[in-house]
Amino acid sequence: MTWVEFPYAALGAMACWAGGSVLSVMQGRNGSLKAPGLLLMLSGTAVITGFLVLFWAGIDRPPLRTLGETRLWYAVLIPLVGFLVEYRWKIGWLKYYCVVLASFFLAINLLYPDVYDKSLMPALQSGWFIPHVVVYLVGYVLLAASSAAAWHNIFRKKGGDRQNVHSLSHHLAVLGFVFLSFGLVFGALWAKEAWGHYWTWDPKETWALISWLGYLGYLHLYSMNVEKQRLQWYLALAFLVLLVCWFGVNYLPSAANSVHSYQSS
Amino acid sequence: MSAHGVRGTAVSGSFRESVLFSVLIVFAGLVIEATTGGRGISLPQWPGNGIALALFFAGIVGTALSFREKRFVAWLGGIPLGISLIMALALLSFIGGVLPQEEGSGPLWARMMRLNGMFSSWPFALTVIFFLVNLGLSLVWKTVPFRFANLQFILFHAGFWIALSCGLVGAADLQRVIIPLYEGRSTSRGYDTVSKSTLDLPFSLHLEDFEMKQYSPQLALYDPGRDRLVPDDLQHVQDIAEGFGISWDTLSVRVERFLPHAMLDGAGEPVAADSAAGVPYVRVSGTSGRQSFSGWISTGSPFEAPAFISVGERLIVLVPGSPKKYRSSVIVRRGAESEGTPAVLEVNRPVDVMGWKLYQMGYDEKAGRWSTLSLVEGVRDPWLPFVYIGFFMILAGNALFFWKGMKKTRVL
Repeated sequence: MTWVEFPYAALGAMACWAGGSVLSVMQGRNGSLKAPGLLLMLSGTAVITGFLVLFWAGIDRPPLRTLGETRLWYAVLIPLVGFLVEYRWKIGWLKYYCVVLASFFLAINLLYPDVYDKSLMPALQSGWFIPHVVVYLVGYVLLAASSAAAWHNIFRKKGGDRQNVHSLSHHLAVLGFVFLSFGLVFGALWAKEAWGHYWTWDPKETWALISWLGYLGYLHLYSMNVEKQRLQWYLALAFLVLLVCWFGVNYLPSAANSVHSYQSS
Repeated sequence: MSAHGVRGTAVSGSFRESVLFSVLIVFAGLVIEATTGGRGISLPQWPGNGIALALFFAGIVGTALSFREKRFVAWLGGIPLGISLIMALALLSFIGGVLPQEEGSGPLWARMMRLNGMFSSWPFALTVIFFLVNLGLSLVWKTVPFRFANLQFILFHAGFWIALSCGLVGAADLQRVIIPLYEGRSTSRGYDTVSKSTLDLPFSLHLEDFEMKQYSPQLALYDPGRDRLVPDDLQHVQDIAEGFGISWDTLSVRVERFLPHAMLDGAGEPVAADSAAGVPYVRVSGTSGRQSFSGWISTGSPFEAPAFISVGERLIVLVPGSPKKYRSSVIVRRGAESEGTPAVLEVNRPVDVMGWKLYQMGYDEKAGRWSTLSLVEGVRDPWLPFVYIGFFMILAGNALFFWKGMKKTRVL
């Protein structure tokens, strides 16, 4: 499969997520629509995952090179976090935020189609390529879910089990931070093998450091008993820094000489 | 869970002091830059940097152990100051991550404050110094006396301290040279781009062969008026094969024959040739509106002009494929050795020679795969083992943090 078939898969997945969300939200007291709703949402993820697998087979290289390809991974992984959180902790609302985020990234790919390109430049032909990018992807997915949980906490009505929902955004941030750290160090080790130095203050590296410092600051604020509701704002907004690091960097004046510009030129 | 017993109102009070202090050191750094013309900070080389770091470390350990009860020292190693300095570092990195970091770039006022060289500027250096003090003090307090429960804290914070301090201080001893190699010739000299001087290396390199593999060439439509390639209807980057079709609006093109390596015979017809001498030739046919056309196109080479087909004001061209792999086969002679050892330099596969790491860096891009020049980069970084120890301690600390987090959230 190629980007040519992508719109069908993307729109199919989005339709399943939307339909499933409507059914799940409408489930009455007896919960009769719960199973079909969840099934439909899972089908959406199955559709886009299937596309990713066939796409990978079609291009003969890991589809982790362009921003469009990483957005595709995002759309596959982030609803999975929502489903896992519901399965493990019986918190059902996170999955709605997750499918909205996933649809958002698919929509960007629909509006700005990627060029179908099989080539992988020598700098990316390394054993570090997959661990570095996958670890970062998982980190970003967890932190996106953490941000979604934080936005939920900010706007939800007062009452309920606050401690529990605050914990969700916090634990997702802790796990996300761990992956971010691994991604950062793996990137440094790879950079040493590929470019001769582990840290060159390339704009992407600098932004990776800024986002890492941002979450490092959060963890220390959390350890100081700062009011948890205020920290939800921090987590909600911290993800914006990650978005700059992920694809905003390309639009900054500093990006002219970045070695991380793997978009097709 | 506060590490140093600062809680409640004392916390908000010390937070204010901490933020104010961080702002002041950044401001002091900017003042130093402005008054010295934005020259930045330059660190001493070995052994000066090693002695300075050892004294700095000893000072932190001594202060932490002797003055732990002093309120000022407790504050200096406390979390509020740590957070303020993390934010200051993030803010300075933000400036360095937005503005181009090149010598001479940006407006005069930005150059005066060295905003175009943020990571070797005084505001950054002062912030890092106090950050290392803060991190170091809290680390000593968590380490002495040692408790196994603090292992994750110690690994992460000590790793960060070691990687940050050795990385920054060791940068003064980092040497990077470019070694231009020509096929059939030897050299033992490298060019240092920072000091703009030539350096004699303790070894010599003889380039036997530079070799490059490319991806398939690409059919493309070139618009000379706008000097750009026009994307085709499917936005494909294609694999050229006989029978392959591609279209742009009313223009459609089909590949009749594809010769990956060919050269022109006496009659001007392409015939298959060996891969070293030949260039890709593609015979295409197609229609543009009602007009039909056919002919050979080729990528050309440094020895041969490319062939293309004009369609109206645009040209159907064959773009050379991007480099897939390139490598230099070299003979390395260490010191006065007469017999050398063969080695292959490839991107992502550096070779170690006498404390130097050698990287395949580039080639003559105009000549492409016919390049007889190979650019090799030599890097010597004696502090690297310490930085890596720091990195692995950070990872170990994080792995423990992950394990604890998973336990806490009852995932495992």
